Amino acid sequence: MESKTPLSPHIQIYRWHISSLVSICHRITGIINIIVISLICIWASLLLFGESNYENINSFLNSLIGKFIVLGIAWSFSFQILSEIRHLIMDLGYGFELKTTKITGLIVIFGSILFTIIFYLIGKNFF
Amino acid sequence: MVQISLPENSQIKKGKYFKDKTGSKNLRKVNVYRWDPSTGENPRIDTYEVDMDNCPSKVLDILNKIKNEIDPTIAYRRSCAHGVCGSCAMNMGGKNGLACTTPHAEIDGDIDIYPLPHLKVKKDLIGDLDGLYKQYQSIEPWLKSNSESSTQEIIQSKEDRAKLDGAYECIMCACCSTSCPSYWWNGDKYLGPAVLLQAYRWIVDSRDEERQARLKKVADELKLYRCHTILNCTSACPKGLNPAKAIAEIKKMLATASL
Repeated sequence: MESKTPLSPHIQIYRWHISSLVSICHRITGIINIIVISLICIWASLLLFGESNYENINSFLNSLIGKFIVLGIAWSFSFQILSEIRHLIMDLGYGFELKTTKITGLIVIFGSILFTIIFYLIGKNFF
Repeated sequence: MVQISLPENSQIKKGKYFKDKTGSKNLRKVNVYRWDPSTGENPRIDTYEVDMDNCPSKVLDILNKIKNEIDPTIAYRRSCAHGVCGSCAMNMGGKNGLACTTPHAEIDGDIDIYPLPHLKVKKDLIGDLDGLYKQYQSIEPWLKSNSESSTQEIIQSKEDRAKLDGAYECIMCACCSTSCPSYWWNGDKYLGPAVLLQAYRWIVDSRDEERQARLKKVADELKLYRCHTILNCTSACPKGLNPAKAIAEIKKMLATASL
């Protein structure tokens, strides 16, 4: 009988809040960033095996899909940085009131988009 | 462990549909999670059409109305109906709360009622909270004093008493713990917001002399540090308390104290 007891639904039914959304995105972007940093290291070390390897990836990143990926990475890093600052403030014991968490969460979400646009524009001027 | 999907025996099937018999024009559809332990069947969602013209304002009133007038087989816990006992904690419209203090007007569309998330279901809306109570017991929620003068009252200043505000009001309804994804995945080891709020309540009590030991006890990666400030707990608490802040305060104490 005991093994037949069902588990009540959880993530399937629970409504998302801004703070839970920011929290899960923080984890996902964290994992993405680790992978991206490793890839950048591999990309850089490819120089040792000749210029053409480096150039191949460089031209891929300048293609439409490549640009999309680069923008995604810019967003991922922006989100992680802003969310981390939010976490640091929370670790000091501030910003736990429901309204404050909502506001800081929204700042993280919209700030990361804003940062991505700024990064994009900076890149435009440089290249 | 993170397990997103429900096990085979917990998959929800479509249940019965109870059409309105009162002829009322002001109807609302109420979807209720049902599971009967006497049959071997999977849980199902029964849908009731409820006449809202003759229904008071809270979700518990809807459930009472269904039980009294439509389907007497439905099972749920309730007692005080004033947000004091914590019996009628359940998931309504995707958010945990007390059915007796949650107005149904706050829920848009059909009203979905589930038991508290990620619990073993005993019947219908009744979840098994044994694990949570065992964890509550494990933090030894009583005053510990080694003082000789055990016959005298222990004086507490107004400032020290004020530290307990926001912690002593907890009614252990389990809304917060069962809203926490960390508690869903690691409920066997992570104490969860409700129990940690109580741990905090005894750690900051100036009359308690076991502060160090209490801190040491929760200073375990899984017992305490599984809190990732998702803050579902704080937004779920029907008493307006802030378990997330209490956990952060314990973390702060552990970071600054020399144990």
